[in-house]
Amino acid sequence: MRFLRSRLPAAALCLCLGWWLWRGLFFSCCELDGPAAHYVANTASETGASNIVSAILFDYRGFDTLGEATVIYTTVCGVALMFSRSRFRRSGWGLSFIVRRGLGLVVPFLMLYAFSIVIMGHLTPGGGFQGGAVFATVTILFCIVYGSSFEASRISPKTKETLESSGALVFTLVGLFGLAQGSGFLSNIGAGFPAGSLGSLMSAGSIPLLNFAIAMKVGAGLSTLFYSMVKILEDPVEGPPPEV
Amino acid sequence: MEMMFLGYGSAIAVFCIGIYTIVTKKNLFKTVVGLSLMEGGVLLFMVTSGFVPGGGAPLLPLGPGGSVNPLPHSFTLTAIVIGASDVALALAFIIKIHRHYGTVDIDKIRGLRG
Repeated sequence: MRFLRSRLPAAALCLCLGWWLWRGLFFSCCELDGPAAHYVANTASETGASNIVSAILFDYRGFDTLGEATVIYTTVCGVALMFSRSRFRRSGWGLSFIVRRGLGLVVPFLMLYAFSIVIMGHLTPGGGFQGGAVFATVTILFCIVYGSSFEASRISPKTKETLESSGALVFTLVGLFGLAQGSGFLSNIGAGFPAGSLGSLMSAGSIPLLNFAIAMKVGAGLSTLFYSMVKILEDPVEGPPPEV
Repeated sequence: MEMMFLGYGSAIAVFCIGIYTIVTKKNLFKTVVGLSLMEGGVLLFMVTSGFVPGGGAPLLPLGPGGSVNPLPHSFTLTAIVIGASDVALALAFIIKIHRHYGTVDIDKIRGLRG
């Protein structure tokens, strides 16, 4: 009864809200118009990229993407600052021998997959954000499988910090190159980057460069986020690892 | 058109489930999951709104039916990153609250009775 009294009004409210939203739907489809029509028609000639979404993100609206990268940077700074003086107890000792060996076999392929997502970002679905997230996933898998102190002993937080900062630096330098050529911040073909032929790996001017910069930034940033929350550490007298 | 109805309907359903979670659950972690669900609903809505009947993926060369609207796709990519960032920040706050109060139940946190 008490359950009903507390849950029923909320459920009714949500159902009403859903019905209201459903009634208010306005279907305006069936034709491309506005900037989208321009992007679809002119991406090949203006950027040389065959992935239109990537062309919008890194060429037409590159400044927007720079701001988005700044959001990640701010989050990483905030979380790292919040946990800068805390020491957590060691939280994991890793999984069994078979899982450890298995992950060791899989890691090169995972890295290859992430790299291919990044380097083909202007040709196929994918790009810096997605590939960087896969890179970060690899380091998070290290924490789960090898225990929570493994990753910090191999890749120092300093390295990740350097990677992230240099990603932001490369992005800004590519943008400033366009400015120095006199055609505007983050301009691509107009600034003299080679367009290449449509669909080949070396095409689309500065878009692959920006993809790499974003991948470094996102991969190092997400990894730093995760490891600031699990941070451990130097506490060897924790007791023996449990039997696995 | 049926596909658009399906997409919009599921977006609204996911959004409302997220609001329900935020309103009813006392556990802060579940509240963050509700926030994440709401975000998923909004992203689904945005992607659905860019659908053009018969269109393919926005990859050159385009098929005979043309392409769907690529603009919501890139906005969605932006929004996914922002969403991941704010979920991470919320979780960091919750970890801090747990270390300070020893609980993540809203009712048991001192000074927040209601």
